[in-house]
Amino acid sequence: MQNEVLVGIGEFRVAKRAVLKTVGLGSCIGIALYDPVVKVGGLAHVMLPQSNGTKRSAKYADQAVEMMIEAMERLGGKRDRVVAKMAGGAQIFKHMTMDMLRIGDRNVEAITSVLDDFGIRLVSKDLGGDQGRTVYFFTNDGRMLVRYSRGGELWI
Amino acid sequence: MHSIEDLGEIELDALRELGNIGVGMAATSLSQMLGKVIEMSVPVVKVVKVQELHNVIDVDKIVAGVVTGLDDVDDGQAGFLYINFPEQSSLKLAEALLGDTSDEEMVDSTLMEIGNILSSAFCDATAEMLNKILIPTPPSFAKDIAIAVVDAIVSQLAEKSDYVVIFETKLEENENEIEIFVMLFPNEKFVEYIFQLLGMVE
Repeated sequence: MQNEVLVGIGEFRVAKRAVLKTVGLGSCIGIALYDPVVKVGGLAHVMLPQSNGTKRSAKYADQAVEMMIEAMERLGGKRDRVVAKMAGGAQIFKHMTMDMLRIGDRNVEAITSVLDDFGIRLVSKDLGGDQGRTVYFFTNDGRMLVRYSRGGELWI
Repeated sequence: MHSIEDLGEIELDALRELGNIGVGMAATSLSQMLGKVIEMSVPVVKVVKVQELHNVIDVDKIVAGVVTGLDDVDDGQAGFLYINFPEQSSLKLAEALLGDTSDEEMVDSTLMEIGNILSSAFCDATAEMLNKILIPTPPSFAKDIAIAVVDAIVSQLAEKSDYVVIFETKLEENENEIEIFVMLFPNEKFVEYIFQLLGMVE
């Protein structure tokens, strides 16, 4: 069994030979980056698409991607080989009175453009819907397992 | 600027008092509404970093969650309340209040109403203790794994606060003991209220 590493809300982890896991993606998005040559991978649980530039934190997609790439480079990864997978961005509130909770869609859109800015190819994704996801990213082969909160799973 | 980061025992006691006043009021309204004795208390209060929430609540379990925004009448948003019913608690509550849990919509709407009562009571308690009038927005409802419900709220406040105040609430009806988590996601404004409260205590 490979060692399992938990990624909290607004955090990221980069590793080799590990299973990176993040629990309970609702409107948030799990971004996995992978260098298939040296088999180093990263997973971030991001809350917001864009930072306002002040604090460096993995809760913002743009900074999470940048920090993950840097960390992956320290483990031998190469920026131009990195590909991405992502999952999340659900709309889990059934009865909605606050429009501001409707952020899943906005996140998806903005994060896709963040990846474009970095020139990272998005190889697969599982986005939207109305239920939470728990995501496992296997850094030995770059597979990602999405497990839904109401049951069922999907490999992407 | 105050930070909620290093509250000590005494400060947490004051917060627990706020919680107890709030749920006490909620219990009174619920008892009146249902015509049976319902008691509520907050035995434990915790302040947790959002990133570490998974150490405190059962993140893998499905919960029913009611979210209300807290609006300060004087100057806008002050944070959110997230009232979280673990699955066991949802069923027990619905059984105690409705006597029948077969109608899922009915159960959900009951939980939403309890959430509504709790958040209004919480606002009343804040008004009483801090002289700050907060108005709860109508509730939003979701049923999913606990963290997935939280993250929509957290992202709203991501730039303003990294902390959650968790009131571990106990509701007692007859022999039933039901666990409810009331989570306060304060923005910087609410953190100031908390410190005003603590200032009064000292």
